[in-house]
Amino acid sequence: MAPTTRQEDSGSPSPPTLKTPGRGARRVRRAFQVVVAAVLLVLFLFPFYWVVITSLNHTNQVLQFPPSFLPHWVFQNYARAWSEAPWLRYFLNTIFIALVTTLLVLVTSILAGFAFGSLRFPGKNLIFAGFLSIMMVPYVVLIIPDYIVLKDLHWLNTYWAQIFPFAGSVFGIFLLRQFFLSLPLELWEAAQIDGASRFRFLRQVALPSARPALVTIGIYTFLGTWNSFLWPFIMTSSPSVQPIEVGLSTFLGTNGTDWTGLSAAVVFTTLPVMVLFLLLQREFMAGASAATGGVKG
Amino acid sequence: MERTVAGSVAQGARPPLKQVRRLSDGVRALLFLAPAVAFLLVFVYIPAGVSLGLGFFHYKLTGIDTTFAGLYNFKAALTYPIFWQAFRNTLYYAVLMIPTTLVGAVLIALLLYRDRRIFSMIRTVVLLPYITPVIATSIGWLWMFDPQYGILNAVLTALHLPVSQWLLSPQMAMPSVAFYSLWHGIGFDVVIVLSALAGVPRSVLEAAAIDGATGWQKFWKVTFPLLSPVIFFLAIVTTLATLQAFSQVYALSSGTGGPEFATMTILLLMYLTAFQYFHFSYAAAMAIILVVMILILTLVQGALSRRWVFYQ
Repeated sequence: MAPTTRQEDSGSPSPPTLKTPGRGARRVRRAFQVVVAAVLLVLFLFPFYWVVITSLNHTNQVLQFPPSFLPHWVFQNYARAWSEAPWLRYFLNTIFIALVTTLLVLVTSILAGFAFGSLRFPGKNLIFAGFLSIMMVPYVVLIIPDYIVLKDLHWLNTYWAQIFPFAGSVFGIFLLRQFFLSLPLELWEAAQIDGASRFRFLRQVALPSARPALVTIGIYTFLGTWNSFLWPFIMTSSPSVQPIEVGLSTFLGTNGTDWTGLSAAVVFTTLPVMVLFLLLQREFMAGASAATGGVKG
Repeated sequence: MERTVAGSVAQGARPPLKQVRRLSDGVRALLFLAPAVAFLLVFVYIPAGVSLGLGFFHYKLTGIDTTFAGLYNFKAALTYPIFWQAFRNTLYYAVLMIPTTLVGAVLIALLLYRDRRIFSMIRTVVLLPYITPVIATSIGWLWMFDPQYGILNAVLTALHLPVSQWLLSPQMAMPSVAFYSLWHGIGFDVVIVLSALAGVPRSVLEAAAIDGATGWQKFWKVTFPLLSPVIFFLAIVTTLATLQAFSQVYALSSGTGGPEFATMTILLLMYLTAFQYFHFSYAAAMAIILVVMILILTLVQGALSRRWVFYQ
């Protein structure tokens, strides 16, 4: 029998032993489950549906009561919203920042993860503990001093201000360290016999087998960078370097009551992330389990 | 000892070579660690240290004359009524968010993980808000919350229920933000709980059933203890996230923390103080107070966890 859930208590009066619930009880439970699933489906999807519907209606159609629940295929909203802000620029900025950040995170994490996982050096555990301690630093304390650092480097309002502060990832280092720790010694011995250096071993043997971990780190970094707001919002001021979320916030500030245009902008700025997620869903879920793998104890 | 790559030198057979090896391994490690260390040093370690000191000075972005201020900035914050309002709001938001997120995630996960088809579909659906950007989805909710033309009040009107001013009402503004955040963030917690549920061994539950345990007993005596480390992890993560929530508070209150400072959080106040009014040291003091708050809440949860978290 499947493990317990709460509806066994709320569903029907349950017999003292639950080994073989009657067919009726099972059907009630099944119906209950379908209802709950349907409610959740509506709750979580309706806001998306509503924004899409709004973006495809005339303004007077969305401001009437009762509002229109069906699209009228009005595409002017998209044309208007697109023409009112440098969206292409925002898109290209976001893609560039997200790609370079992801690449840098992968490189720094691979190297540091390999050092912690496969090399022996004095003070290794102490240094690793020092790395892990960063996870305890709430990022709010970094905003002001990092702003000062970036200002002194004359990097405010550049791409670098949005890339370099995130180029070292403790999460990435941790994940790859765990992976490299689990590599069997025989692999390295065999590589040594073939005359390979540590670096070549890393490149040709360790890395290809670390692919799942690399994909996880890549997805999380890319999506995280794409969705970030506070940091670029503070560190940049001109649209020529700003990412899409900051652009959207500016657009909200200037077109605050143009709900159809705003909805259109929300749709075309969000669609790429959604498509990416739906394509990489399986890897994303695997990453979520990996991230908590150490917690289960 | 387990045979791993790291252990190879320790087990190395020839002593003279070992010396050379270890040295070069150390140098090699230095080279491998250098890039990550460089970035973390410049943007995390040093700034975190600077941040601690910044609150004790009168730092000006333009001038060099940074004078020592002692506890001046902390006193100023702690005697500023708006700061206390922000402090209460931040706690209120955490109280609204943390229990609902955890209970909600466990309930959704428990209700859905039996049926494989429903399971995978719902998992995608609850995660969809989580992966979409906060500003974008906040705009959608801003529109739904609109008191005059929003869909929420339209539905309430159609059902002959009382309408609300939502984000424009001082009483409802923070709960509305929390409602949005729950919708946006709970998917992550659901996925984590689901993956933990998959690790609960069936045999244990079956044994409990044979012993005559009811569903309620099986949950509290078997499933919950096995889930508890993951729930504790989520409690800490949610605490950190809610106390540092910014984007949704900013977008849903149009950057003001209103109405009547009802959604002013410490982080939003810190942002406005530093980047609208350029009182950097004052804002840094606020940040330190927020960090102390985070630290205390985390430690309290850690202490409480000994009573309910079960490690295998």
